Amino acid sequence: MRIRILGNLVILGATVVLSYGMQVSKPHYADLTAPIPADGAMHDTIRARSFDVRLDKVVFARALKANQFGRQKLLTTSGLWAVVTTSLTATAASTTVADGTWQGPTGLRYHQTERLGYRQDMPPHGVDPGLEKRGLFVFEIPPDQIRGASLLIAARQFGPLDAQARISLDGVPTSADGRPPDVLPEYDLDAPPPQGKS
Amino acid sequence: MSAVSTAPGPIASEDRQAEQKWRRRSLVALAILLPLTLAETSYDSLREWLHGEDLIARDVDFGQSVPFGGSDWKLADLRGGKAGRLPDHAFAVIATFSVKIGDPDLQKQWLGCKLMLTDAAGRRWLPDVIAGVSLPAGVTNCTSAIFSGVKKGDTVTIGDIFIVPEDAVKTIRPAVGLGSERPWYLRFQRPPK
Amino acid sequence: MFRTARSKVQTWITAGAGTIAALFVAGLMGAFGALPAHAPPQLPLDTAIDAGRWRVQPVRAYVSHAKVYGVLMKPGQKALVLEADMTNRTAQSDKAYFDVFKPDGLALPDPMPMIALTRDETLTPELHPGMTERMAYVWPLAGDAIVPASLSFGVTAEIFKPRDNLYGMPGWFNPYRLGTITLPVADVPGTGS
Repeated sequence: MRIRILGNLVILGATVVLSYGMQVSKPHYADLTAPIPADGAMHDTIRARSFDVRLDKVVFARALKANQFGRQKLLTTSGLWAVVTTSLTATAASTTVADGTWQGPTGLRYHQTERLGYRQDMPPHGVDPGLEKRGLFVFEIPPDQIRGASLLIAARQFGPLDAQARISLDGVPTSADGRPPDVLPEYDLDAPPPQGKS
Repeated sequence: MSAVSTAPGPIASEDRQAEQKWRRRSLVALAILLPLTLAETSYDSLREWLHGEDLIARDVDFGQSVPFGGSDWKLADLRGGKAGRLPDHAFAVIATFSVKIGDPDLQKQWLGCKLMLTDAAGRRWLPDVIAGVSLPAGVTNCTSAIFSGVKKGDTVTIGDIFIVPEDAVKTIRPAVGLGSERPWYLRFQRPPK
Repeated sequence: MFRTARSKVQTWITAGAGTIAALFVAGLMGAFGALPAHAPPQLPLDTAIDAGRWRVQPVRAYVSHAKVYGVLMKPGQKALVLEADMTNRTAQSDKAYFDVFKPDGLALPDPMPMIALTRDETLTPELHPGMTERMAYVWPLAGDAIVPASLSFGVTAEIFKPRDNLYGMPGWFNPYRLGTITLPVADVPGTGS
């Protein structure tokens, strides 16, 4: 009789522990429906579901020069401009890659800039299978968000359970205070500086 | 409350057997009802998905004319080469179709018209714009044809330009998808060299 | 059980004790208009104000008769412009700044302002975390509308919930009136932009 009571108590205790453990360890709804990351480093080709991406170069500048509606415009910012050059290819069918986000070391997310309007080399990038296309992503970031940052590239902005390429920007050189050593005073998007160091 | 006595006896065992029979029937009914419920609740999503994707190919021999979306489609030409400003290791390919209009309500029949090239591996290319290259005279792309006011019996030449990598050019085949016919799409055999 | 009237009352009170307690506490906490309504406070103009998603510091307000920061107006209209330095306090780029300022006591043909980045006249760009930008709120007004020399703007803030009630996701909810700011309104004549 005592053994039966003890047995019941043990089963009850085990159920409580199991149930509480499952409740506490259940992933958050936001994590259950979040995009699935595909991690990689600079210069690696990362395979997301519908596209492949390779980060080629990151350039920092204080101002951007761009041609808008036939007029030259100089875009300034309170932080730095980060111009990221990537090579994009589709995997199975022609598609678009539309969303780029700069995630700082503490998790702050800087979405790609809208101030440049429509340009052929800016998102949304139309990509085809087997053909590499040079696609730019431009961000406005404070200088302290560069060291330890990563780049998040996805086909569209809200894509639950779709793939998202997460490229860590450890290869970006930074000096002691976290700022990049070579910040261009001006970067012309229509006449980018010649290929030198990356 | 007073308890009902369950004295064992012939009548009680019959009740038990009846109960067991009904329990078995309920279990079997569950096995039937659950899949039916899943099917019913997902029916609309499934139908929408099937009508949005080109999934099932209908192969068409060269020279054959096939009714599709209310009109008769035939592959007129498939030619490729270097033209305009192309990326490295890529060719420009133009695919043209000769279409005899049957149902002139193109806005309904040809809604979501998509011209594609597919290769042996199943990759698909959608039309591209090449600077310096335009469609030859008399050829319109599918969306322009929908609004061009054609009548029953007219023959229209529909085509588009694609950029295809070198390694796929040998096996690409043109394909056409229409909103009114999805999930089926037409896949044409290449013209003999 | 219900032998006498006194015992009946006792039963009622015992049964209703919980409900009575709940109503009492709710009344104390402000339901039924029991709490006095506080007037929203006057906010200082010389320091930045934390208003939910945004840290705002108003700079100046004026009425413009010409095109201001790239915002076109219909002929015969003038515009009430409020310039403020805004900083995004959230963890990602956001553009939900439309309801932060609302001019009090003016009849507006359209309560939704046009908002431009004063740096380069871009309309409604996303503001990025921690980066302060001067934004211009432009409300078009009828040309003959009377604008007082000193105008109050209501500042609306939201509260942050790490887990909301529907999806358990973090977000900013329940907009409430944080306070009012009062600015002198200059009148800028029609020449120049």
